[in-house]
Amino acid sequence: MPPRIRGSSCQPQLLLNYLEPAPSSLTPSLTIAPRHRPATSSAPLPCGRSFSTTPAPQVTRLRRRFNEWVEGSGEQFKEPRYGETNYISRTVNFSDFRPVSPDQPFPNNPNFRSERVLSEKAREMIWQAIMVKGMPLKAVSAQFHVDMRRVAAVVRMKEIEKKWQRENKPLALPYARAVMGMLPTADLSEGEKPFEPINDIHVHSYTMQQLFVPTSESREFTRADAAKAFGERILPPDAKMRIPELVQMERNIAAGMPPREATATFIREAAESEKAFADRQHSRAKATEERTLRVQTDRFEFRIEKINSEDVGPTGRARKAVGWRYGVPHMDRRRGEVKIPTRVE
Amino acid sequence: MVVKMRLARFGRTNAPFYNIVVAHARTARNSRPLEVIGTYDPIPKRDTYDESGKLHKDIKLDTTRAKYWIGVGAQPTDTVWRILSMVGILPPKHRPAVPAAKQTTPQANKA
Repeated sequence: MPPRIRGSSCQPQLLLNYLEPAPSSLTPSLTIAPRHRPATSSAPLPCGRSFSTTPAPQVTRLRRRFNEWVEGSGEQFKEPRYGETNYISRTVNFSDFRPVSPDQPFPNNPNFRSERVLSEKAREMIWQAIMVKGMPLKAVSAQFHVDMRRVAAVVRMKEIEKKWQRENKPLALPYARAVMGMLPTADLSEGEKPFEPINDIHVHSYTMQQLFVPTSESREFTRADAAKAFGERILPPDAKMRIPELVQMERNIAAGMPPREATATFIREAAESEKAFADRQHSRAKATEERTLRVQTDRFEFRIEKINSEDVGPTGRARKAVGWRYGVPHMDRRRGEVKIPTRVE
Repeated sequence: MVVKMRLARFGRTNAPFYNIVVAHARTARNSRPLEVIGTYDPIPKRDTYDESGKLHKDIKLDTTRAKYWIGVGAQPTDTVWRILSMVGILPPKHRPAVPAAKQTTPQANKA
């Protein structure tokens, strides 16, 4: 760090004096003397700039134009328009053939769109449906056309919010209001267009190739067979679907079941599948608990889980083996591995 | 050569993580051991939805193999001894200080 001058920091001449080479040891008396030269020590120089001798920049043409814009057509961007977006694209019009959408924040980038977010009312509605009415996640997702993961996230966040309200913790409501006022929102009301696709399936890269599989004409070649053809472990689309019960509902309706009854069946099936999922999780947790011995000490509880060390396999490198692995690179040095957390505990 | 049961430090700076290993005494700490019989995470953790703030430490251990290695004369280090004594494989090496009143009847304690 360069030497610092106490007091005023805006005197370049003072700094120059300070940085002059130290006097030699033959003249020790000089070192005791003040460092300021007599000429400059008479009065501090009046100066308005720090360390700079270049003249202040004049108002450039660009800056002048910017100021004109801010006072003219840029005036409307000072405050958000609550209820609609206020992006700069609203004032831009390249041509009649190339309109700029109001949800496009950057006029030159038509691929960047600001997507709608769930409004406060919509999120409260989702929370009510799950936590008060006790509807299954899949049914709520299908009803509001919101992805299941988003439904789960909304409920989680709402729970935290309500907990904070119970604890009288301050919420950043003005901030939330300001952000929500600037973004396009979805109320999930009747007649609104669907919020997002809910039953998309992940396309495995193995299934992106063109494949010629000889098969006999008499054979029934299903989607499951097609998946097998792409790879041993590739799942058919029906198994990859998030809400397969929706497909069953449509099948029921096509088979002549009244829609009301088909919906009731869908909700029942969704609840059953979620119960089965919860049971699986519960039994897994129970099995772990049975393997675990808890030892209480003064400071900590030690949880000792029984494992099988033979899981390392013949090479000693099996993936499910316990412990840090020998002879393989660190996880953070390996390529193509997702290192950000992908799930919420 | 002496076979030891000891910890091998892995993990990162300020984030230790140990393999509980069985290895020859004169081999390097992190060299490939005879066998990895468990892990020890010394960083105390909270349960995600637990409000009480209690801390726990996670240990994984193959008790069968640990018993086997003790049976054939492997020598645990003090730390591994402590872990094994928690499971009940070995008697605790360092007992908690006994109050003075109880020390008068050592014969009764032994029995």
